[in-house]
Amino acid sequence: MARFLARRFLGSVGTLLGVLVAVFLLVSAAPGDPARLALVGHGPIGARSPEALAAFRTMHGLDRPLPVRLVSWLGAAARFDLGRSFRDGRPVTRRIAETLPATLVVNAVALLLAGLVAVPLGVRAAKRPGGAADRIAGLLLDALFSLPSFALGLLLLLLFSVKLRWTPVFSDLSLGFRGIALPALTLALVALAPIARVTRRAVGEALASPAALTGRARGEAPREETLRALRRAMPAFAGLGAALVPQLVAGSVLVERVFGLPGTGQLLADSVFSRDLPTVLGLTLVSGLAVVVATLVADAASALADPRIADGEEA
Amino acid sequence: MKRTLGALALFLAACGGPVGKDQDRVLHLRLEGDPQTLNALISTSDPENVVIALLQRNLLDYDEKLNLVPGLAESVEPDESRLVYTVTLRDGVRWEDGTPVTSDDVKATLDAIVDPRTPALYRRSFFADLEKVEVVDARRARATFRKAYAARRDAFNLPLLPARLYRGTDVATNPANRKPLATGPFRLAAWEGGTIRLVRNTQYFGAPPAFEQVVLRVVPESSSAFQGLVTGALDESRLNAVQRVEAAKDTSLREVRYDEIAYSYFAWNNRLPQFADARVRRALTMLIDREAIAKSLYGGLARPANGPLPPGLWPWDPTLAPLPHDPAEAAALLDEAGWKKGKDGVRTRAGVSLSFTLSFGTANDRQRQVIELTQRSFREAGIVMALAPLEWGAFVEKVDAGDYEACSLSLNLDPNPDLRPNWHSSQVPPTGMNHSFYRNPRADALMDEIATTFDRERARVLYAELQRIIAEDQPFSFLHTVSVAWGVRNRVENVKSSPVGLWLFWPGAAGWQPARAAKPI
Repeated sequence: MARFLARRFLGSVGTLLGVLVAVFLLVSAAPGDPARLALVGHGPIGARSPEALAAFRTMHGLDRPLPVRLVSWLGAAARFDLGRSFRDGRPVTRRIAETLPATLVVNAVALLLAGLVAVPLGVRAAKRPGGAADRIAGLLLDALFSLPSFALGLLLLLLFSVKLRWTPVFSDLSLGFRGIALPALTLALVALAPIARVTRRAVGEALASPAALTGRARGEAPREETLRALRRAMPAFAGLGAALVPQLVAGSVLVERVFGLPGTGQLLADSVFSRDLPTVLGLTLVSGLAVVVATLVADAASALADPRIADGEEA
Repeated sequence: MKRTLGALALFLAACGGPVGKDQDRVLHLRLEGDPQTLNALISTSDPENVVIALLQRNLLDYDEKLNLVPGLAESVEPDESRLVYTVTLRDGVRWEDGTPVTSDDVKATLDAIVDPRTPALYRRSFFADLEKVEVVDARRARATFRKAYAARRDAFNLPLLPARLYRGTDVATNPANRKPLATGPFRLAAWEGGTIRLVRNTQYFGAPPAFEQVVLRVVPESSSAFQGLVTGALDESRLNAVQRVEAAKDTSLREVRYDEIAYSYFAWNNRLPQFADARVRRALTMLIDREAIAKSLYGGLARPANGPLPPGLWPWDPTLAPLPHDPAEAAALLDEAGWKKGKDGVRTRAGVSLSFTLSFGTANDRQRQVIELTQRSFREAGIVMALAPLEWGAFVEKVDAGDYEACSLSLNLDPNPDLRPNWHSSQVPPTGMNHSFYRNPRADALMDEIATTFDRERARVLYAELQRIIAEDQPFSFLHTVSVAWGVRNRVENVKSSPVGLWLFWPGAAGWQPARAAKPI
């Protein structure tokens, strides 16, 4: 089991490294001079100063060859030094630390909300597959899933903030739940469909298993039967969690823009547009680590639930 | 599901009363992007400048008509040679911590601007020929320049940096850039999570502003900002055409407008054989129906530009008529210049066809529509214009280098603009910003003379001739000058606008008042 997880961990780290190298090369190769964007901004063509541009490039090491920069960034990152932002010269770790709490809280609340609604729906659908509830919920959730989160967010904003005035127009973590209800709800609504679908399938399979049949034959109460099925579905949920992380990160970029929430999504979008490579890489590292951790948890959960998975890997 | 939603609604409703109920003493402004610095020397974006305008007075400020008026300095006056300017600070001007603003701060600020390591790219262009700065006494500093220059005083539309925090430091990364010391009506109280909160600066030398606090919120998304305006979470927001219609129906809002000192244009690379002849360039402009575009795409908030200066600037010549929309005359001009239609309907001359590529940075919808309408008009006239949308960074690099055939852009001008960087023949890339490679010896001579003509009436005459020459040459097709519309909540009064917008003149938003307060500032 430990060897299995260690191997998985090493594999994930390899993947993360690959992603970081790819992002580094992509952002570096993208047209647009980061020095110019940092010093002159996105405005119309303005005054230029070769000395200031050169000083900027030296300060951020942009005058060194690409491979040297890449290796030195990776070396520093291994020591938790993510460098300084091209835009304001502050440490990237600080910029991320300022924006991460809002994004984390919104996403955690979104997952909780989505889980509270989607899991019961999935269980119900699994018990009576093809029933009216199954079909209606399926249709509704698919519709929500296919709505762009940007449009969904605006619709919720119009309803809850403008029409009903229950929530503030601009999200604000300091207002508590009310302050982030809408971005969380937007992300939750989009996440409903995948969670409900995985629940339906996993619980359905568990209910159809010989163990469930035996349980029923023994006269097990439906409630216990459901709980047992949910327990058996745990690995599937863990896997889903790992798959949802990137989706939530991407969703945050748009949702944070709609609700004016100063989170890592907005930071990522700004940084990409201004070619702020250190910040883009730092955020890639953080979200990559989140995926790695979620995947490892999923693997561990699978291995715990079904030791054959780990054994099979080691055989 | 239904129960869960119901519970959610109850919970939200229980969390508090209606949103938008506001304290009368707090002004809520929108920032369209996230400021990176509050140091005016190195700021590069509008949101940064909006905050800075509330925190700092300039040595000299612009009033709403763009006249220079005393700010931190009671005067900035030249000697007879017009090379030496004496800056005299007002008596009793203090930083927010109570320490006096001195001539040493003036010296430190100007020294920082001309230091090549400081990324003060915009400011440095005003002080390129600064020779030295001397402290005369606590309130007076003397700046000596190498050349006399008519727009020199405009360079002193400049806030100060405290010498004790900045001297000898790396200006770009100085921590005070995010914790500035204010000299203006407000000071920074908090900056976190996309919200900047300002409170009255008790050390400010002038009358205290009517609002006790200003909360500036970063809202990049225009549609969200508009909902914020409607619900009262914001007191102002820029309006697009759709939002203007909506805002007009809302009795709690009013519209404030100003003519931007900017114009949109298509630049023709004058070095290419297609664009070398002024008749061709004039014909191109005459093929574009700018009046119709102003009506249909700008909702009437635009007018055809007549030349290289927009209305709202003092030397703009109102008697210079924009070229008319006249496809027949354009065709005649093209024929006369030797560009005849071939069998395929495309005009050619000496084996070269009148076809080219128009580059533009990832455009907004309206710019894209203007481009496409123009493309259609050109096609009917036998001109092939291909389109090359580029990522913004890549686009500006091409423009900076003059490495394009045609391009679509806008130009923002300074309140007292110098046209040389854009039009003088010595300023073609890689030296300057004359990226269309325009060359006209008479225009060069006029620009040089204007730079040293201190009598505004005389300068106005020179400017009029210059505008006529550039309009005749049409190195660009000058497209539109635009009025910008803002929605403002009626609870706020005394909102004035100027050609530089709502913020970057004195008193700007510092002069706004709650509707019920009768106290003038």
